[in-house]
Amino acid sequence: MSNAAVIIELDGTGIKEANWGMVTMARMGGTPSEGTGDSKAGLIACIMTPVDDSMRSELESYGISTIVEVVLPQGLETNPDVSARALLSAVKAHQVSSVYGLSTALGKDLLPRMAALAGSPLVMDCFEADARTGMARTSQYSGKTLASIKMTGERIFFGVKPNSREPEKKPVSAEILRFDASDTAIQGLRVLDVQTGDQGKAVSLAEAEVIIAGGRGMKNAKNFDILVQCAEKLKAAVGASRVAVDSGWVPYAMQVGQTGEKVSPKVYIACGISGSIQHFAGMKMSGMVIALNTDENAAIMANCDYYAVADALEVIPAVTRILENG
Amino acid sequence: MQIYVCVKHVPDSAANIHVIDDIRIDPNLAFLLNPYDEHAVTEAVKIKEQHPEAEVIAVCLGPEDAENTVRSALAMGADRGILVQTDSIFDSIETARILHQTITDDGVPGMIWTGKESIDAEGMQTMFRIGALLDCPVATNVVQVALGDNKAVVDSERVGGVVYTYELDLPCVLGAGRGLNTPKYPTFPDVVKSKKKPVKTVSLDAGASSPDGASMKVVKLEPLIQTRTPKAMTGDPDTIAREIVTILLQEAKVIS
Amino acid sequence: MTKKYDAIIIGAGVIGCPIAYELSKMGYKTLNVDKLPDAGEGSTAGSCAIVRAHYSTADGVAMAYEGFKYWLDWENYLDNVEDEKGLAKYMNTGSILIKSQGHDWKKVQRNYDEVGVQYEEWSVEKIIEHVPVADLHEYWPVRRPEDPKFYEEPTQMLEGAIFCPEGGYVNDPALSAHNIMRATEAKGGEFIFNAEVVDIRTQDGKTAGITLKDGTQIDAPIVVNVGGPHSYLINKMAPGVWEGCNIKTKALRHEVMYCPSPDGYDYLNDGYHMSDGDIGCYVRPEVGNTFLIGSEDPECDPQEWVDPDEFYSGKGGHGRDNVLSDEQWKAQCYRLGKRIPSLQVPNQPKGIVDLYDCSDDWIPVYDKSDLPGFYMAIGTSGNQYKNAPVVGRMMAELIDACEKGLDHDNEPFQYKFKYIDRSTDVGFFSRKREINYNSSFSVNG
Repeated sequence: MSNAAVIIELDGTGIKEANWGMVTMARMGGTPSEGTGDSKAGLIACIMTPVDDSMRSELESYGISTIVEVVLPQGLETNPDVSARALLSAVKAHQVSSVYGLSTALGKDLLPRMAALAGSPLVMDCFEADARTGMARTSQYSGKTLASIKMTGERIFFGVKPNSREPEKKPVSAEILRFDASDTAIQGLRVLDVQTGDQGKAVSLAEAEVIIAGGRGMKNAKNFDILVQCAEKLKAAVGASRVAVDSGWVPYAMQVGQTGEKVSPKVYIACGISGSIQHFAGMKMSGMVIALNTDENAAIMANCDYYAVADALEVIPAVTRILENG
Repeated sequence: MQIYVCVKHVPDSAANIHVIDDIRIDPNLAFLLNPYDEHAVTEAVKIKEQHPEAEVIAVCLGPEDAENTVRSALAMGADRGILVQTDSIFDSIETARILHQTITDDGVPGMIWTGKESIDAEGMQTMFRIGALLDCPVATNVVQVALGDNKAVVDSERVGGVVYTYELDLPCVLGAGRGLNTPKYPTFPDVVKSKKKPVKTVSLDAGASSPDGASMKVVKLEPLIQTRTPKAMTGDPDTIAREIVTILLQEAKVIS
Repeated sequence: MTKKYDAIIIGAGVIGCPIAYELSKMGYKTLNVDKLPDAGEGSTAGSCAIVRAHYSTADGVAMAYEGFKYWLDWENYLDNVEDEKGLAKYMNTGSILIKSQGHDWKKVQRNYDEVGVQYEEWSVEKIIEHVPVADLHEYWPVRRPEDPKFYEEPTQMLEGAIFCPEGGYVNDPALSAHNIMRATEAKGGEFIFNAEVVDIRTQDGKTAGITLKDGTQIDAPIVVNVGGPHSYLINKMAPGVWEGCNIKTKALRHEVMYCPSPDGYDYLNDGYHMSDGDIGCYVRPEVGNTFLIGSEDPECDPQEWVDPDEFYSGKGGHGRDNVLSDEQWKAQCYRLGKRIPSLQVPNQPKGIVDLYDCSDDWIPVYDKSDLPGFYMAIGTSGNQYKNAPVVGRMMAELIDACEKGLDHDNEPFQYKFKYIDRSTDVGFFSRKREINYNSSFSVNG
């Protein structure tokens, strides 16, 4: 038993782009092989939908040699517990020892269920994953440390952070197998409803991966709409400096800083914020800081990762346009 | 009904984390109740208000100091606490075993709550493991819950505002999300009252079971030092915007 | 190339800026140097910026009351200067001093009468009318939550309060310093930031200038130490200055908490500044409908004297660095929780940790030094924010008088207040004084 499998995640139109980086990672560090580089053994893709020709050729182009169509019980496709049980049966049936899945919204509801049912180790949100050594790397303590985690067990699970690796193609030909899990039974959890309508719901500051925050340079309350529009595209939260709150442009709940929320997003985009020490106290734990300010002497310009001497009111709408139109 | 809330003693997110021996953090810093667990405690206490026969029990695995975290849960309205005392750090496989054992030794859970994740290890899986051991259904990032006849109807939120409504048989395990409620923090009279509530300390060997080889072990911990060297982005607003998008895509990897 | 000024002021906080402002107005060419990036970003920003008049001496009351006049007329004080960051606002909430065993309020009342401070006496009922969330049992003495007696039921009631309607706080203390900087610049004063002083240079036994960390030398015959928590380090750089002070300053760690107001109580808009010696706390509203809870340094609380550089870099360790401690969070919030039983106290501490520049007797040193041309306005923290504009004027006049030959050590300068009809003996703030045992030895001054 030494196969590696990836669980392919779908979106409305087909296979999500984010899968290919994960597939590449699984291939390179997938099953035991000599030295580094692509493994000799093939890679299994588990997919919970019938695979058409275009999907097949896409999967083949990234080095998938076995495609396992997991057939779910009809009407229970949205039940994460049923999916987890079905997928677990499939990987067991194919002697899979390492399982890769995306650490996405779906993955966070699926992979821990599988690992728990299997009694197997799992590292979520990993950006490095090597099945040969059982090593995964992930961040801990709100992004303040990097942890290298060694997993042991007859089967190990990686929840791979999207975009952790550049996808690389490696064309092979694949066989398609069908794994019938349509008899997987409900065990105590039923899906009553799935609501997808509320997409525009604001992301909370504490949890956001990206925060766009505005300060004095926003000039008025209305201009915060510019940040909100961009934030919707980025799935970001909108924050503010104390000035913007004191001026009554935005509510206190949006304040980042010593007297507001302390945040640790992956990216903090500071728009027209001078960067007082009190503001830094709230956002210094951010992974990356991008500063836009018309004043090149603003303190934040010397304490960020990227800066532009520019008006955020012109740059941010342009970012929104690019995100909309590509 | 007994409602168990698993609470974790975690470093304050505002504290500076120092790594020692390349493998663990310097524990000489402020610890408190995991913020997601605050939502779990608040919800359990709210359920008790509607079901007065219910009992809310806070369970914690941690060092002697973790009694403070159990006390925080009691001040927030839990009826009693259990501290499984240990100085060791366990992975979520072991943690779930110990918590499951402790809970089933203590009583008959109708519901078990956890936070949807801990802000230290960020494993996001302990609730599923407890559910698997108890052979009962699990939902995470729960933002709404209603108790029915031997059932719970919960809204579980996935990122991006997608909400799944589940019906779960009781007992069930639920991971509390931020959207569940506003934590009800204790007043001084609550603190005084909670002083009298019992906390049972259990030594670990009583609750531990032998591992079967599956494990996750942190072998190296490195501080993420943020020394920022500012790099300029120049050009007209469109050029700068394009550069920002490229950075978000390729370097920060926060969009795809 | 060395630059030359009439006076260099080390520090651009809320005391350093007004000294420069007043000297500039008197025709001095001034330069403020500060190691931080902007005015007021140091311990000024951590100040609670309370404006109150209750002090244990009549002179203390007079100076604070004089200060009110500046805050109430801020635009005029700044000579209507424009600040691109806007102006700090004086929040005139009124100030409640609880009559308790924690304050010598009878003395305060006598001082109010002597100076002519407006006040009202409030009964317990009247306090409740204005602060409906309050429970006015007496909790004295102040204790810590670690002490089992902390939780004992109170039996006595308090007797009331003294209300001073002109009191309040400044909403943004860092901004107030920034405002004064802009006003100073309008009068020709200059400022440089990110500039750390490493040496005070002398020539022929007189002050000659400063040297910055990057080697830059700046010359001036007058140097004023307004270094806040770093003041003692700066005094040590100047030959004979530290040794010549009988009163020394040190950096004291201090925590201020932010705790949300109880549901349904609009503290931000309906609340008052309140000094409550019975629980060892003072409070004022803060943005976000929050209680800002300061400590009146009760005897049971530990005092942490720290190295300011270690502290600010977070290296002092638990209770000695710039991270709030859980123990003190509980102490301050639970104390207020006795007075306001509906106050919900979050588990995660939120607030500010900063340093007081604290003198041996908690009374500041506003003085010349044993080095001609070197002056100091130090030991100000805890209770001098409100006096800053007064101190600016007083120091400028003191410096001017000394430079013109006054022997201040033997014939102390008498400062005549601008607004209230009274003078004060600046010798009271002498570095040569014996420790003043009339002081409260606390933030109360």
